[in-house]
Amino acid sequence: MSDWSYWAVQTLNGLQLSMLLFLLSVGLTVIFGLLHFVNLAHGALYALGAYIGISAATATGSYWAGFAAAPVVVALTGILLYLGLMKRMRRAGPMNQVLVTLGLIFVFVDIFRLVWGDIAIGTVEPALFTGRSELFGVVYPTYRLFIIGLGALVMAVLALVLSRTQLGAMIRAGVDNDQMAACLGVNVEKIFFLVFCVGCALAGLAGAVAAPVFSAHPDMGTEILISTLIVVVVGGMGSLRGAIAGSFLVGFAQTFGTVLLPHVASLLIYALLALVLVFRPTGLFPARA
Amino acid sequence: MIKTVTGALVCASFAVAAAGPASAADYKVGMLLPYSGVYAALGQDIDDGFMLALEEAGMVDQVEMVREDTEVKPPVGLAKTRKMVLEDQVDVLVGPVSSGVLGAVRDFVDQTKTPLIVANAGNDAATGENCSPYIVRVSFSNSQVNRPMGQWMVDNGVKSVYTLAPDYAAGQQQITAFADAFKEAGGEVVGQEYTPFRTTQDFGPYLSQAQSTNPDAVYVFYAGSEAINFVKQYDAFGLKDNTTLYGSGFLTSPLYVDAEGPAAIGVIGSLHYIPTLDTPENKAFVEAVQKKYDRVPSEYTVQGYDAGRSFVEAIKSGATDKEAIAKALPTVSYTSPRGPVSIDPATNNIIQNVYVYETVEGDDGKLTQKLLGTVENVKDAPNGCEL
Amino acid sequence: MFRQSLLKTLTVLAILAAAIAYTFTTGYFGKELVIEAATLAILAISLDMIAGYGGMISLCHGAIFGVGAYTYAGLTVLFEVNPFLAFAAAIVVSAAFAFAVGAVTARTHGIFFIMATLAFGQMAYVLVFENKALGGDDGLAGVPRLDVSPLGLDFNNSVQFALFAVAAAALSYAAAAWVLRSGFGRTLVGIRVNEARMKAVGLTVWRTKAIAFAISGALAGLGGAIAAQQTMFVSPELMAWMVSGTVLMVVIFGGIGTLVGPIVGAVVWVFLKHEISSATPYWHIVAGTVLIITIVAGGRGLYGQIEYMVERRRLKRLAAAGVPSTATGREDETHA
Repeated sequence: MSDWSYWAVQTLNGLQLSMLLFLLSVGLTVIFGLLHFVNLAHGALYALGAYIGISAATATGSYWAGFAAAPVVVALTGILLYLGLMKRMRRAGPMNQVLVTLGLIFVFVDIFRLVWGDIAIGTVEPALFTGRSELFGVVYPTYRLFIIGLGALVMAVLALVLSRTQLGAMIRAGVDNDQMAACLGVNVEKIFFLVFCVGCALAGLAGAVAAPVFSAHPDMGTEILISTLIVVVVGGMGSLRGAIAGSFLVGFAQTFGTVLLPHVASLLIYALLALVLVFRPTGLFPARA
Repeated sequence: MIKTVTGALVCASFAVAAAGPASAADYKVGMLLPYSGVYAALGQDIDDGFMLALEEAGMVDQVEMVREDTEVKPPVGLAKTRKMVLEDQVDVLVGPVSSGVLGAVRDFVDQTKTPLIVANAGNDAATGENCSPYIVRVSFSNSQVNRPMGQWMVDNGVKSVYTLAPDYAAGQQQITAFADAFKEAGGEVVGQEYTPFRTTQDFGPYLSQAQSTNPDAVYVFYAGSEAINFVKQYDAFGLKDNTTLYGSGFLTSPLYVDAEGPAAIGVIGSLHYIPTLDTPENKAFVEAVQKKYDRVPSEYTVQGYDAGRSFVEAIKSGATDKEAIAKALPTVSYTSPRGPVSIDPATNNIIQNVYVYETVEGDDGKLTQKLLGTVENVKDAPNGCEL
Repeated sequence: MFRQSLLKTLTVLAILAAAIAYTFTTGYFGKELVIEAATLAILAISLDMIAGYGGMISLCHGAIFGVGAYTYAGLTVLFEVNPFLAFAAAIVVSAAFAFAVGAVTARTHGIFFIMATLAFGQMAYVLVFENKALGGDDGLAGVPRLDVSPLGLDFNNSVQFALFAVAAAALSYAAAAWVLRSGFGRTLVGIRVNEARMKAVGLTVWRTKAIAFAISGALAGLGGAIAAQQTMFVSPELMAWMVSGTVLMVVIFGGIGTLVGPIVGAVVWVFLKHEISSATPYWHIVAGTVLIITIVAGGRGLYGQIEYMVERRRLKRLAAAGVPSTATGREDETHA
């Protein structure tokens, strides 16, 4: 393998991880920006997405069934959580929210164990994206290219919706000042709810998309949680720009850290987080300056 | 509301305490296993295997079982061990899965002279420099499983390898044992990397790196969900097409080979047990496990079984109390489903065959294990053990 | 503001008496549980000091606890330092580590503070996990207990060691209460209630926060050094972030911002968890549900709820007697 293609593949690795982190963290950050709600259970929703994706794929024999089912089921679960628990926690302060959702993580882990067992389960990628693709002498797994493409697509759609549509304007208004937005006739509650559902659906989608690359196991949500939180906090909570910046920073730091500085690789993202927070106490691109 | 809930729980806890030990069993066995956490499936397999051995010997009614969850946390494991030894006064302990837990309980077990049958934890030091006359290991040692692979691979034409493993004690011991043997046999290790333990899910960067060194083979140790992720990603990156994946056989254990799917086909591993061994003992064992638990036994099931079997053999030899059981355990020897086994008097580690196997697709389309070679009676050097 | 009310005094004395009585009457394992509850209580008190009164929700207290445990274990096992010296060093090193974390994170608030502390905690965890000299993930075994034979005592006797742990917990409570009642404690509460105002009156906010963190860290390190002696073994799991999460749960469950609540929480947690986990491997679901219920029910916690009701009656009585309401109520104790 030539030197050039080696670094190209590593860049693609970084890109792929960044996109996965983006799919996961964008929901978390927008929910925080709008609802001021810290949802630690977001990782558990991702795990649920992976489980649903695998189960649906196994039952129907088609990857795309899982791809479609996971966001829907996870969004529905999110709605239940929202109505049953999170709505009343809206004004309870970050600590109570952190703790309630920490409790939810515990509950979810055991539910996964009870339903899907202790052993990790997996699934195969769709026939359309098996194997590898070659471009300018660079060979890369096709399914990972699909993840990169999907991430970019979601990124573009969200950016368009937020910047160019009326709905986007209302969401931005809600993030800036929800009371003022409500005074101006925006149905803030409805927007909150919609955003929450979309955020959960994206977490579910991320789970279904990750399932063929990673296996699903009860602790997978807890394992990914820290990386996701780091993305959100480094980027600055509540802004799409922050989620994008955070995903790329963490994704590339992790990938190139393992390649260039293998001995401190596991320290790197924490050091990054600490560094950003020391100099920018609210992250790089906070929604409200 | 909270008070009522707690009240109910407190009442319940008193009820549990009051129920207490009331059986007329002759022996008390303490299972020190992870019933929750990342190794819960392993704990369950070991427990099932143990119970099968008791059943086979018709001793289920004679033995009272105490089960405690280590949560794979050393301090919790130690607390539970103290409870079982001091409070429940068990005659023998069985477990643990994690070497961390074994390290934590080692001194206590040794000081209280409680026989401990190690049913998984493979840390070399436990039957090396930290060995104890009260600790008998019927599972494997990290180096025992991997060492034979060095010579075997060279014999089969592999000249250079790239190694990968998680960055913790077991990963380092397994890889070091293999790499030393491989180099001694004339092979060359062209690259070696340790991945952050339990936080690495994406092996892409490592795989690209391995690929760039162009080795004859890649040799790894991974278990659990890391094994599944690794095997699948190894295939996805196309390394499997021209570089065979070798590894410590836990990589494609029956426990998770189905989750790995077709990516596992062609992976070659070395392990102390595979369910397709063609011996009468193993056939009967596989059948019994299928019948009772409706699944294929894993190496963990057989470790649990042999823990039970060695306990049964010790009792049969006339041992009745802790001290006698501890003395009898190292003398047991019999033909296990995994082949002839005995305990090395120099270290208290098991002496057993190590099998080299390939994961293949069976006639029914399911993944199965094809035996490629057997290295008989593998035994560890004492490594500073004085019993 | 912290007030050593009659209820607090009575509850602490009752728990103390119960712990001592239980230690003398229970079996071996009961004593282990007493020690575990005592060390957890020390850690919970130390967290409540800065979280409940200073408004700093730390997710690195498990790591500070671990720094204490590792300092004690490392010095005694690797360098054969006198255990008493190592014990003191454990407290000092933990305090210094906590001071650094407190100083560096002082500018962050809310979830950013939580995440910043998590980052430092995780860095400490990774460093210990990958440090071969400290035994890596295998940990360090053979940690000695304090040699108290000159006093005619023996800490390898579990009754004596349990009483020592209980005494340390009681002293930790007294120390924390003393700090919180002092001018410094009032300043700390002032920062939580209105940081901008404290700044405006000329306070160097970061220094107060860092010192508070250091005091809290000293207590956490004390707890860690005792835990290392109890198990005679240390491993990186002591420092994992879930430990910090658990301590936070214990504090909330007992009643945050009450200083007594964390003790109640620690005792209930240790004893209940043991019972539930021997009954079912699915104890997480029970713990999670209890936590959710606690928060949804108002977040005051077990002891906090009782104190709230008693305090409300007292204020009513005072109001009925015509005494003007002073700042003794809980109006500043909300954690919004």
